[in-house]
Amino acid sequence: MVQQLLAYGTLILAVAFLLWKYLLPKSFGKKKDKGCGQDNCGCN
Amino acid sequence: MSKNINVALIGNPNTGKTSVFNQLTGLNQKVGNYPGITVEKKEGICKLPRGVKAHILDLPGTYSLNTTSLDESLVVELLLNKNDKDYPDVAVVISDVENLKRNLFLFTQIKDLKIPTILVINMADRMSRKGISLDVAAMEEKLDTKIALVSTRKRQGIDRLKELIADYKNISSAPNLDAKRISPEYFERLQRTFPNEDLYKLWLVITQDVNFMPIEKKRIQDATDFTTKSKEELKKLQHKETVLRYQFINNTLKETYKVDFLAAKGLRGSLDKLLTHKVFGYLIFFVILLTIFQAIFDWSSYPMDFIDEQFAMASEWVKNTLPPGIFTDLLAEGIIAGIGGIVIFIPQIAFLFLFISLLEESGYMSRVVFLMDRLMRPFGLSGKSIVPLISGTACAIPAVMATRTIENWKERLITILVTPFTTCSARLPVYLILIALVIPKGTFLGLSYQALTLMLLYLIGFGMAIFSAMVLNKILKIKSRSLFMVEMPTYRLPLFKNVAYTVLEKTKSFVFGAGKIILAISIVLWFLGSNGYSDDFKNAEHIVSERIEKDGLSTYSKNYIQNNVASYREAALADGMSATVLQDSITVLTEELKERAIAQEISSYKLEHSYIGQAGKAFEPFVKPLGYDWKIGIAVLTSFAAREVFVGTLATIYSVGSDEEETIKNRMAAELDDEGRPLFNLASGISLMLFYAFAMQCMSTLAIVKRETNSWKWPLFQLGFMSVFAYIVALIAYQLLI
Repeated sequence: MVQQLLAYGTLILAVAFLLWKYLLPKSFGKKKDKGCGQDNCGCN
Repeated sequence: MSKNINVALIGNPNTGKTSVFNQLTGLNQKVGNYPGITVEKKEGICKLPRGVKAHILDLPGTYSLNTTSLDESLVVELLLNKNDKDYPDVAVVISDVENLKRNLFLFTQIKDLKIPTILVINMADRMSRKGISLDVAAMEEKLDTKIALVSTRKRQGIDRLKELIADYKNISSAPNLDAKRISPEYFERLQRTFPNEDLYKLWLVITQDVNFMPIEKKRIQDATDFTTKSKEELKKLQHKETVLRYQFINNTLKETYKVDFLAAKGLRGSLDKLLTHKVFGYLIFFVILLTIFQAIFDWSSYPMDFIDEQFAMASEWVKNTLPPGIFTDLLAEGIIAGIGGIVIFIPQIAFLFLFISLLEESGYMSRVVFLMDRLMRPFGLSGKSIVPLISGTACAIPAVMATRTIENWKERLITILVTPFTTCSARLPVYLILIALVIPKGTFLGLSYQALTLMLLYLIGFGMAIFSAMVLNKILKIKSRSLFMVEMPTYRLPLFKNVAYTVLEKTKSFVFGAGKIILAISIVLWFLGSNGYSDDFKNAEHIVSERIEKDGLSTYSKNYIQNNVASYREAALADGMSATVLQDSITVLTEELKERAIAQEISSYKLEHSYIGQAGKAFEPFVKPLGYDWKIGIAVLTSFAAREVFVGTLATIYSVGSDEEETIKNRMAAELDDEGRPLFNLASGISLMLFYAFAMQCMSTLAIVKRETNSWKWPLFQLGFMSVFAYIVALIAYQLLI
């Protein structure tokens, strides 16, 4: 039960992160895009 | 009592501004540096004497306040806008002791904005070597400022600079040049119309294309009692301003600055001649590139093998230590394998940026820019396009943003569109793993085939960028061209601190930026690979056991058992094991290996019928002609988010259900196609590398192109064109090589 809770919790977090990163509009609590150096763009 | 003040670091490019910033702020900084050029501002905190705390802003390098590009406009806008939260209490202008005359032009302009301005004369350690003598006190008096003689290399003068900043209230804010001297009649009228505004600021608003919040250009143009001049007349007045400033600077330097020009020439001149030579220049650059790629492969192979083994062991340890269950499996097969797929490339990324940083710091990169300009011009690119293209080897995002320095819109657009062809660091992990798998280890003239292949891929990327530029140049019909100007900084020994910062920043950015995405994708992939809806998935164990009973083990499993037994026998005989004991232990080992092989076959069957397997199978017809199976197809699909996800995806897919302690490379090397040949062979490997060389697989780059071009048209064009082109090239390569 604990294992399942942890595993599916991790999955939800991962999916939420990817949605936030790529699909949600910028205004949704996202920082403005900056250079790779400090606020990583995620491209590399 | 502590007080917070804003300090702006301003200066011409290549005056050592970043080095001063580093020494002032140390580790208390947020660095957004781009190879070759500073496009955005960098911020840091510096503690000063008497409890003063300074917020230091490192502004983009600019030659004057007469802006010619977007990033130069940033400087002017900040200095004109007192309402900006970063508006400086004190400006620090960084100059180079060897280029004072040109650097002082910017200094006098900033001084005329009535901001307390300190002059830093950097690289002071070269004065005696270059025959330069300076009367600092007289210069301070002439320029009505305080001067700090600084040598960032020898860490001299920074304390004095800190003292001066802390004491900024005693720095004069009086202008060097009375703006009315430019045109007494015009400026009198201007002053009468806007009595409460500063004249020189008004003049900048009129002549520069900047958005100055309190006084908008339109307000000046609309003022009923003031008629501004035509563009040509304004240009004439700007020329007059330039002449007046240089008169003032010449008079100042005549009395305070002496230089023995004979001493200043010599080695630098000879080196420039050689490094920018029509033949030797390219030859030297080529040799340097070869050395870099050779080093990336040779030097980093040891730490890479170590990291790979550690992750394989960690995965094994988690499986054996934690209680069995879905989370333990996710941790061992999804998370650790996914992270391992990116951490393994830290050594190569670090080496790449170490070399790029050394080339920039030494001053050689500017010579490369100059050298390559000759090559680029016939293809219709501006000389300034080279900086984004070279920066693109790190990451296309800052490179696309660095195109802001290109004044001509069409040239800028072409550079934006072709920059993603240059080999960014995200492609590196893909290339490295594929080269290691499919390119033999031999050497040619002492250089490994693998290093040569890597270099060839970089050249292909660069060549494609130039070729596309040529095509786009014809399509877009560029009529005008901007002037190319590149500063040749003096050669200097790279500063360890600056090099270390760059390597650290870039590596950190690679690991943490990409790492988060890769980790999330690895988790999702693991779930998709470990679950399925079909009966085949649910009854995998039964189906595979029946098949093995009927047809025996697969060729892959048989080879796996044979190879392991052979290695064991060889080691045992070398240890002097007796024949009877050896036979018994081989029987036990064979049974163990058989059990593992059966488990592996069940896992493979399950994976094939899992959600991801079904998706991969549906996608397979598209990638089959390129020599890829459904697993590679999935990796290609997921890496449309970001290229580097490719390796992490394969690492996760190959780890699902595996009990073996194996490295990613070994797992990939062991994959066989339908006909029992290695899946990653020369044909499919080259096809994959070419696909990655040309395909537009980076969502972040698409987003930044959209932002920079203010339209979805161009990023969609990029995505479509690059993907189709990559597919066609990969198809041709595979069909020719197979």
